[in-house]
Amino acid sequence: MTPLRKILWIGLACLALHGAVRAEILPPGNRAIPLGVHALVGGKVVVKPGQVLESATVLIRDGLIEKVGPDVTAPADARIWDMKGLTIYAGFIDPYLTLGTNAPSRPATNRDSELRAGRFFGLPVAALDPGTPGPGAQLSTVTPEHRMAEGISPDAQALQSLRALGFTVGNVVPAGGIIRGTSVLIALSESNPNEAVIRPDVFQHVAFESMGRGEEPGSYPQSLMGVISAVRQSFFDARHYFLEHQSYEQAPQGRKRPPFNPASQALGPALRREMPVVFEPGSALMVDRAARVGRELGLNFYILASGQEWRRPDLAKGSGVPFIVPLNFPEISKMPEEDDWNAITLDQLRAWDWAPEDAAVLRAQNLEVALTTYELEDKSAFRRNLAYAIDRGLTENDALAALTTVPAKLCGVEKSLGTVEAGKMANLTVVSGKGYFDPEAKVMEVWIDGRFYRTETGETNAEAAAEEKPPEEKLGEQKPGEVKPPEAKTAEVKPPEAKAAEAKPARPNRAAAARELLKKRVAHAPLEGRGALTNPPALLLTNATIWTCGPAGRLEIASLLIEHGKIAEVGATVRHPAGALVEDATGKSITPGIIDPHSHSMILGDVNEGSLPSSAMVRIGDVVNSESANIYLQLAGGVTEAHLLHGSANPIGGQCCLIKLRDGAGPEDLKFEGAPPTIKFALGENVKQSNSRGGTRFPQTRMGVQAFYDNRFTAARQYLKAWDDFNKSARGGPVAPVPPARDLELEALGEILQGKRFIHCHSYRQDEILMFIRLMQSFSIQVAAMHHVLEGYKVADEMAAAGIGGSTFSDWWAYKFEVYDAIPYNGTLMHDRGVLVSFNSDSDDLARRLNFEAAKAVKYGGLSEIEALKFVTINPARQLRVEKRVGSLEPGKDGDIALWSKSPLDSTTVCLETWIEGKKYFDRSLDAARTAALEEERKALLAKARKALQAGGPNDRGGARARRQFFETALEHQDDFYNHDRDEGEFEP
Amino acid sequence: MKGNLNHNLTLCCWLAIAACASAPAPARAQTLLLKNATVHPVSGPALSPGDVLLENGKVRQIGHLNVPADRVVDLTGQHLYPGFLLLNTALGLSEIEEVRATLDAEEVGQFVPEVQSWVAVNPDSELLPVARANGIAFFEPAPEGSMIAGQSALMAMDGWTTEEMVFKKPAALHVYWPSMEISIAGRRGGRRGRAAGSAEEQIKERERRIKELADFFADARAYAQARDAAQTNGAADPGLNPPWEAMRPYLKGERPIMVHAEELRQIKSALQWAETNHYKIVIAGGRDAWKVAELLAKKNVPVIYDDIYSLPLSEAESYDIHFKAPELLRQAGVKVALSLQTTVFDAPFARNLPYVASQAVAYGLPAEEALKAMTLYPAQILGVEDRLGAIEPGKDATLFACTGDILDLRANVTHFWMAGREVSLDNRHTRLYEKYRNRPKPH
Repeated sequence: MTPLRKILWIGLACLALHGAVRAEILPPGNRAIPLGVHALVGGKVVVKPGQVLESATVLIRDGLIEKVGPDVTAPADARIWDMKGLTIYAGFIDPYLTLGTNAPSRPATNRDSELRAGRFFGLPVAALDPGTPGPGAQLSTVTPEHRMAEGISPDAQALQSLRALGFTVGNVVPAGGIIRGTSVLIALSESNPNEAVIRPDVFQHVAFESMGRGEEPGSYPQSLMGVISAVRQSFFDARHYFLEHQSYEQAPQGRKRPPFNPASQALGPALRREMPVVFEPGSALMVDRAARVGRELGLNFYILASGQEWRRPDLAKGSGVPFIVPLNFPEISKMPEEDDWNAITLDQLRAWDWAPEDAAVLRAQNLEVALTTYELEDKSAFRRNLAYAIDRGLTENDALAALTTVPAKLCGVEKSLGTVEAGKMANLTVVSGKGYFDPEAKVMEVWIDGRFYRTETGETNAEAAAEEKPPEEKLGEQKPGEVKPPEAKTAEVKPPEAKAAEAKPARPNRAAAARELLKKRVAHAPLEGRGALTNPPALLLTNATIWTCGPAGRLEIASLLIEHGKIAEVGATVRHPAGALVEDATGKSITPGIIDPHSHSMILGDVNEGSLPSSAMVRIGDVVNSESANIYLQLAGGVTEAHLLHGSANPIGGQCCLIKLRDGAGPEDLKFEGAPPTIKFALGENVKQSNSRGGTRFPQTRMGVQAFYDNRFTAARQYLKAWDDFNKSARGGPVAPVPPARDLELEALGEILQGKRFIHCHSYRQDEILMFIRLMQSFSIQVAAMHHVLEGYKVADEMAAAGIGGSTFSDWWAYKFEVYDAIPYNGTLMHDRGVLVSFNSDSDDLARRLNFEAAKAVKYGGLSEIEALKFVTINPARQLRVEKRVGSLEPGKDGDIALWSKSPLDSTTVCLETWIEGKKYFDRSLDAARTAALEEERKALLAKARKALQAGGPNDRGGARARRQFFETALEHQDDFYNHDRDEGEFEP
Repeated sequence: MKGNLNHNLTLCCWLAIAACASAPAPARAQTLLLKNATVHPVSGPALSPGDVLLENGKVRQIGHLNVPADRVVDLTGQHLYPGFLLLNTALGLSEIEEVRATLDAEEVGQFVPEVQSWVAVNPDSELLPVARANGIAFFEPAPEGSMIAGQSALMAMDGWTTEEMVFKKPAALHVYWPSMEISIAGRRGGRRGRAAGSAEEQIKERERRIKELADFFADARAYAQARDAAQTNGAADPGLNPPWEAMRPYLKGERPIMVHAEELRQIKSALQWAETNHYKIVIAGGRDAWKVAELLAKKNVPVIYDDIYSLPLSEAESYDIHFKAPELLRQAGVKVALSLQTTVFDAPFARNLPYVASQAVAYGLPAEEALKAMTLYPAQILGVEDRLGAIEPGKDATLFACTGDILDLRANVTHFWMAGREVSLDNRHTRLYEKYRNRPKPH
């Protein structure tokens, strides 16, 4: 729009205030604006979901609905529109619209990536102006101050394609980044943007998007858990910002002014719950995380569905908030050969088959649902996909609500939009035939702000096309202010449906066939068949060799009783309570469940937040992957607990998470309740970036590693002191003291200083181990365990004296220079010198045979078998400070056990059963049937997919994006099995 | 001063021992009798107790022997096995994965058949004595790469120079079959999916790659034919060309072609290619080979299986599929040798070869077959079964004694004879162990 025209429009808007009834008079040369009084007569009016008037009149005056009802008579000044045979709905609202103009308005930073994170979370090198240039957040992906209300200028064609789907209003959302800015609700009309805006700043938008577009690797945050931490910290920063400014405004004299930060400022309405936040979590599990973060921050929030909520409907339900649901479904590509078909995995097929059902799944959890065209490459696929969604259980009433009342409510405009009622904006969607939910029925027109918009209904309607205006009248070329002249009444007479069918007879049949095929879901729920296999009131295992890993040692021909999830008795003779499940374990061995003290399995997204030298604020607990196939695979190796660690890319890594492999439980329920918090640290080659290209970050030497720790713990001490001072400070003065800014990095480090969080430190060389021991001693920090610690045998006495455990590999060596002196005798040597030793896997695969790793301590150095098994049971439990609960078979402890075909240290032993808290989670005898059922499901899905392709229906609209989507690995599955997609060097031992 | 001198002397002695420790074996005794062991000839049933007589580097007799010998070793309670052959390894070609200067496993170029692995083996690699200490007697250092990566030899874990170590050269040509997978996007929600092109483009690309490989072989045949013609009927000699020349033994099936292929489509494609052209191939890797076990058996193509320590491909495959795979192949009639992966990362783990085997035993493979998969079968695959792979009269006296079942993680190797000469079991690890277990307590 030229400036001149804009000025003109402002002038006209002023005029309009004075003469509401009269139409504005445009300067000559413009098409005159029609009058604003319309009576839509004789149509079927769907007032709101569930309330239908079979034949009624809608009276529109000056952009608003004046009256609605069967008995409304058209006043003399109204233009009459015959709506017989048409259905009139409240104009549809898309609450999550992208219009190609959504990029942040400010230029992205192109600064050295090392400096980009600025002072955020204690990066020692600080740029003067980190983040996007100018005042703002220190992260360029945090731009809450970005307003879509400024600079929105939709393209006429895009508007037309949305109106053709029946949409009259859309909430235009910002794209890109983590905290993205605010959306704007606009009328999808051909009018001046100032007029089109219905409501600015509708939502603040937060996306769990790791490695945002345009971002290079290296800038914080680059991992999913880093994103979540950045969201938390940004809101905490904002909260502090307001406290500080309020305090300053009360008494500015004699005080240093607080800094200006538009990003913090912009989060105010969200923090005060005046503006809802929409989370885009990106995966089914992150729905749960988004909801928890939203609650933690006290936000009023909604969730953009990932489309895969069917994986964990329980988690969606737990969020308890409305969902905005896109209807982008994956589509299958034709495969050239049989083996190519066969290479398609069950999960890919499930994702394809479940997709249309997602909206119904959410409704079944009693959640409110709004629909959006978001992520549809070709928006015209929306109605077809909606039909599939309805076929899969979304009721038409719910669908209508999802297009009208629900989005109106979410956007805070339920008083002016969403229903066909007097006083509301005259936004209407008019559909022929059987109504909107029949994909063959046509959206004939929409009304926006009381103005008529013809919707081009496509190629089929020859009659309508003939009556179309000449091409120069095409909407795309219309000038602002111009309105299409209303057609003569006859033109509004809609052709009978039969004509549409005649015009293209083949297609509906094909489409119908495809639709019929897709109606019935073949895929099972991923949760089916998971969870405890048996949960007897009591379990009695008899005649076994029992490796107690406790003071009782190894018992031959003994029995074990588990009751209420706890070990009740162990010994030669034990009670036999009534109702107990009894298993004869003659010749077999029972051990405590294996504990893997160093695992990177079951983690969603990247294992490292390696961008900063300290990422103490990131939490593995935010990204536990309860859907990982590794849970079952490791249960099959007798593992019951896994300590999930951040990677070793930086000296101070992230907070770790101890889980129990309760397959089927959600992420929170996997967590080992009450386990003392831990954190990952790392020394040596990885943190000084020895083996990666182009490392320039501090530290680059082992000298720098020490200096860095010294710096951070000193800072953490100061932080604790600041809080201490605040807590002790006198209240009741003229100005309330402002609490220190909450800093999640220093908070975690402070917990270490307070003895509440325990360090597990990746290390190799003896010099660095000693350095670390001494430095931590100088801060009075009790380190839990050095990990890998392959030269631990050289400083075992010092480790033992410091009470620090060693969690090592049985026999890894020579994969990098710092492990050239690694020897398989390390475990035994450390043990012999009094170090508490465990073995760990650091590998999805090796975790499945940690008992064999333990046996290597017998081979190398001659450790006794009983002590060797402790390396993977009670010793890791002690290192993790959960030895009162797990790690040995003693009365009162958790009933976590593994049953083996023979000695657990015999290299031909097989794990037969794995129990956690008295529930059986793995049974080898049931595995074959389990696998067969899954393979059968896969075959059935494959057959359905091929049939669907033959029918042609599902593959003709979604475009390349939908076909690509089919091959995308869900976040929940991406790092399982063969890690085709795992980035090289994502984590290194 | 005196104490100091003593200390220095001790140190000197220690160093001398250390230097000798992994040195090549000294000259052998004329005859050596190994008594009272459980003998696993591998080619036949175990003999317990049994005796083995070694003479001039060969096994002369096996049984209950009461014969004079220059030296007798009593092995009561111990087991005797033929030395293991580890095929497809980066052993010798790499020392430390993350130190580029120590890596010689992968050359530049997609068609470099003239590259010879045996000339780049470091006889003093610290990795070799570590592997030998757990029963590995021979290894086949394999060049890594894509398409045609070069040729390998079978090397002994003993010898002052590469020339002394080479047992058979060349042993095989290494072909890395092009990927056949179709995947057009990476992660959901992530922005890091590789842009591999559409499914159609990928299908074209894989066809192109396979044709490219076949074309190279066809060109090599044309060269061989021209050179043969020049020799036999005086046609114009095209002249010597190293890459084409290197291909000749493999075109005629004189030496095997190791086709590195993990995925089903790769294996099937390679089998078809080999059949069409009458090439003698071995599948190396073979993760999915069990899916075409019958076909492999029918075509008499052996598999060097190295995926036991691997996760299943998807949830619809059972958790133990790769533990069972060797037995599934064996039952179908496929000859299976066991190995670790060819990667540089796996080279230091060579000593775990028997535990890869025991994992297969736990899930069904008979123990005697597991032993053959590390001895007789790899020897047969490389065509050295006349000398290696079993304890039999006339074969090389390369064998080791072990405190128990070698498949048992808790057992240790006690003696090792390479062609009749006892070699040391000392290595970097035992030396560091001895050094630090004797570290005095700090004050």
